[in-house]
Amino acid sequence: MNRILFWVAISFGGLVVLAYIGLSIMAGGPRDAIGMVRFALPHMHRGKLKVGDSAPDARLVALDGATRFHICERNHGRPLVLIFGSFT
Amino acid sequence: MQIYDDYKDHADFLTIYIREAHPLDEWRMKSNEKDKDDVCYVQPKNLEQRVAIANDFTQRFKFSVPFGIDEMTNAANDAYAAWPERLYILDESGRISYKGGNGPFQYDPKEVRAWLAQRYGEVKHPEPAPEKKS
Repeated sequence: MNRILFWVAISFGGLVVLAYIGLSIMAGGPRDAIGMVRFALPHMHRGKLKVGDSAPDARLVALDGATRFHICERNHGRPLVLIFGSFT
Repeated sequence: MQIYDDYKDHADFLTIYIREAHPLDEWRMKSNEKDKDDVCYVQPKNLEQRVAIANDFTQRFKFSVPFGIDEMTNAANDAYAAWPERLYILDESGRISYKGGNGPFQYDPKEVRAWLAQRYGEVKHPEPAPEKKS
C-alpha cells in the first residue's frame, strides 16, 4: 500500500513539475508562469458567443471621461470591427 | 493601424479599452518596465484612472481609431469574454460575423483583414512615412 502511495505521489509531483516547466516556456519564464496562473487564467474565457449570435450591448465611456455611448450605437449599416485590449 | 486606414471607408471600427493585462500590481511583464516601453500602471481602481491610461495610450501612439472605455463593471469585457485582447466583427444587422481567439496567442488581425478583403476586396493604402526625429 505504501509503495502505491509513494508512486502516486511521485507521479503527481512529476506532473506538477512538467506543467510548471510547460507554463514557464509558454509564459516566458518561471516568474511569468506564476503570474499567468494567478492573474491571467482566472480572467481568460472562451466565452459563449458564437458566429450568428446577436451581439451583446454594453455602455462605454468616451476618452473625455464623461460622455457615455453604447456599442450598438456604432453599428449602423456597415460591419463593425471591435478591438478589445489594454495598454499593458 | 493599417487595417483601419485601409477599410474605414467600408466598415466601422471601435477600440474598447478593458482591464489591464499586465499591471504592476498583478502579472507584471519585463517588457513594460521603464528601461523598455515604460508602460507602468497599476490596475485602475476607478474610472478616472482607466480614462487617464486610455488617454496616455491614444496620445502616445497617435491612435486614430474610434475609442471607448469599458466601465468599472467590466460589462463589455464580460459580455464578449474579451480579456486580455480579442477581435470581433459584427455585421450590419448586429450579429456576430467573426469571433477571434483569445490574445495574445490567438489574436490575429490577419483574420479580420481577410474577412474584410473577402467582402470588399483587397485594399492596401501605403503606410505613412515614419516621423523624423529632431
